[in-house]
Amino acid sequence: MVNKTLCIVLLIISTIAILACLVVNLEAWIVYSVAIIGIPLWVLSFGLLTMAKPREEDKEERVKEPFTGY
Amino acid sequence: MNLMADILINVIIAFLAGSLLLGLHRKIMARVQKRPGPPIIQHLLHSLKFFFKETSFPKTVSMPFYIGIVFILAAVWIVGVIVGPVSKDSLLILFGVYAVYKIVEHNSGSSSGSPYGKASCVRAVLSAATELPLFAAIVLVYLKTGSMNIGNIISYQSANGPLAFSIPLAAIMFFLLLLSKSPYSPFGITKDKALISGFETEHFGFLRGFIMFSESISWYVMLWVFLTLFFGPLTAVGYLIGMIVITFITGFINAVTPILNPNHSVMTQITIGAVCFVGTVLMILI
Repeated sequence: MVNKTLCIVLLIISTIAILACLVVNLEAWIVYSVAIIGIPLWVLSFGLLTMAKPREEDKEERVKEPFTGY
Repeated sequence: MNLMADILINVIIAFLAGSLLLGLHRKIMARVQKRPGPPIIQHLLHSLKFFFKETSFPKTVSMPFYIGIVFILAAVWIVGVIVGPVSKDSLLILFGVYAVYKIVEHNSGSSSGSPYGKASCVRAVLSAATELPLFAAIVLVYLKTGSMNIGNIISYQSANGPLAFSIPLAAIMFFLLLLSKSPYSPFGITKDKALISGFETEHFGFLRGFIMFSESISWYVMLWVFLTLFFGPLTAVGYLIGMIVITFITGFINAVTPILNPNHSVMTQITIGAVCFVGTVLMILI
């Protein structure tokens, strides 16, 4: 359901942006922008890639119910 | 120090300290209710555990919104860390942070398609009443100090003494906000257990871990702002003691107070806010 390639691309971009701000002394507004967008993006893409995935035979079961308590 | 390193260190401190304080909060509530309670480190362990758990996406979710709102929540509280501990900037930006947090509560509930989330989403609109005492407190701090800048307010207090002693009713109003944002709060109508977990009900697995990460940061930032605004320049030890004391007080209040229904919650907050606002204005004039 989650696009793996997109997550990898976002993880790489956010990692490079954060590392660039750590290594090079950029203007404050650039660092703030990278921090506000880059840190949550890094956590989100890293989390979506590393979270446990359902087994192939269980995939359908996971989305059978529309929401909790249905 | 490099600015990005400063931000990263503060975000990590906020997450770790916030998690431990929320764990302490649960422990205090449990001890007041004569239960052993989980270990203090449990909230932190839960956040990390959920982070690697399987996340399934219910059929009814609006997918980009469902994931995007979790991202926005984290972004909002990273702004809080930057405006607060890192740059000590304007209070108005922090007010904006709280306003966006309300939008996150609202949209997180509606994006899931779950009736529990939707009921919580409606209550999030009602609970915006919390913003009024916050805005009033910020206005009063401005009237007293003549500045919205946190750095300037710290300087004012180092010269004139803590604001908690000169405008105590404004401090009470801000404390009301802390109380309403604390877990199991009497004012926590969006997370009423009748709604399972409210707007978070359909966010589980990794996404719940991410929400817990942001909530830990939010608790730390709110305590930091309160202590900085009303107790002046503090050392790291001062902040630590202050945060533990406030967590203890809110834990005690939440342990002995049932959750109010939405009408009572809103009216109580507005009434306390109005009384404290008028009282503080009178104190400033007299």
